[in-house]
Amino acid sequence: MAAMDKVAKVYIAIIIIVIYAPILLMMLLSFNTSARPSFPMEGFTLHWFIGEIKGYEYSSYIPVIHYWQFWNALQSSIQVSVVVGMLSCILVTATALSLRHRVVGRDIVFYLILLGFITPGVALGIGNVLMYKMFDIGTSFWSIVFIDVIFAVPFGLVLMMARFDPDLMLYENAASVLKASPVKTFRRVTLPLIQWEVLSAGILGFLLSWGELIRSMWVVRGSGVLSTFIFNQLSVNPTTTRWFAAGTIVAVISFVSLLVLGYLLTRGVKT
Amino acid sequence: MVAMSLYTPVGLGYLPVLTVVNYVNFFTSPQAPIILVNTFGTILLACVITLIFGYPFAYFLTFHINSEKAKTYIISLLMVPFLIDWTIRSVAWFSILGEGGIINYALMVMGAIRQPMTLLFTRNALYIIWVQTNLLFMIFPIHLALNRIDRDIINAAKVLKAPPHKVFYNIVFKLSLPGVITGFIFVFVSTLGDAVTPGLWAGGLQVLGLSVSTYASNFLWPQSAALAIVLLVIALAVLYVLLKIVDIKKLIYE
Repeated sequence: MAAMDKVAKVYIAIIIIVIYAPILLMMLLSFNTSARPSFPMEGFTLHWFIGEIKGYEYSSYIPVIHYWQFWNALQSSIQVSVVVGMLSCILVTATALSLRHRVVGRDIVFYLILLGFITPGVALGIGNVLMYKMFDIGTSFWSIVFIDVIFAVPFGLVLMMARFDPDLMLYENAASVLKASPVKTFRRVTLPLIQWEVLSAGILGFLLSWGELIRSMWVVRGSGVLSTFIFNQLSVNPTTTRWFAAGTIVAVISFVSLLVLGYLLTRGVKT
Repeated sequence: MVAMSLYTPVGLGYLPVLTVVNYVNFFTSPQAPIILVNTFGTILLACVITLIFGYPFAYFLTFHINSEKAKTYIISLLMVPFLIDWTIRSVAWFSILGEGGIINYALMVMGAIRQPMTLLFTRNALYIIWVQTNLLFMIFPIHLALNRIDRDIINAAKVLKAPPHKVFYNIVFKLSLPGVITGFIFVFVSTLGDAVTPGLWAGGLQVLGLSVSTYASNFLWPQSAALAIVLLVIALAVLYVLLKIVDIKKLIYE
């Protein structure tokens, strides 16, 4: 068995390295002196992040800090993601709490919600756009939020359902036996017990909407959110080191919010 | 969307008159068999490759990593890249598979090849990217299923001198089947709905998801809606068949 244990560890390590390779290499190459993000690297520079603008470059070669379209997209991305995070926080909590009770049609509701992320991404995106077209509603900030919430809520639901305290119902019943009003029960008993799950569902919503492309690429207008913006630009422009620098910035933001999520989740385990 | 798929296409626009001509046109066009074969060939192969890489991972994680803490760390490590921006992840592949990517560079330094190979924009790139991005979807359900197997059953079989391959196949594998199928569903659906990877990194390999988005970006809404409906029906049919075999709710509720 000891030999198998070693094989197991090596295999797991290899897979994890493979999974991380693209992102880590991208970060490494974003410091490349050459405008081509390729090996062998010519030298280290911060030019692609904070370099001087010369004024005559083709737009793919402008350092990130001067590339205002990128910052616009980043800003709208953050706005959308924060709203999606808060909405999915509320919706997931409400759904998860009500689905515990054996109400009529519970299974149907559950499957309908699950459908949100089982529907192929393209079909969902196109369907949304067509809906707006048929009812003559322009697409806006809220249409992106809507499509991201559809996608984020099932994920959060699955996460929360699995993590609820098994005795939660018991405590609630105890509170109502002691004549606490439902509102008070929720505020004093239920919420403190599930607060970490609620928070992590919100952050999950934030992250999912942050990275969503296939669904939201159909409903955006203007420069759009970050993922659609980068995709649109990369479809017509050459991949230069500048894009890798931009990618590094986005990845770092994701890493930070993931660290917060991880911290909250482990906090939840202990309490 | 269903209504739109039944509208009559007129030139580049459409009229709100119901018809099934969009479906007929798709299924009678010479590309239809190619697209369908491409779609199912690539997706099923991607699912199988993911399973081949993912199953040992889940197995080792469940039975050969003993401390609970290490397990939690490994799972969170797996989740990090999955949650990072989708676009960024696909851009990052350029640094591995591109002509100046690490694979070509390593092979050239070792002297195995003189010219950089074309790895990106091929069907193989599609498999590599799909497998890498969907590995988590496969590993996680299998791990959950394996975790629920009663260790006593395995020990009993060992005491009764069952050979290891029989223990594995008859007990471990059969009991983990719900996890395998759930993982299969996740990977299948997420690759079926992916229109971007085939277009961006696989040189425009014609799969169903890409055709939908091609029609849509040319504003041929009725046609693209019809194709999207085809896509949805396929997904639901596969789901229905697989759900007959396993109960997905059990895996989540318990």
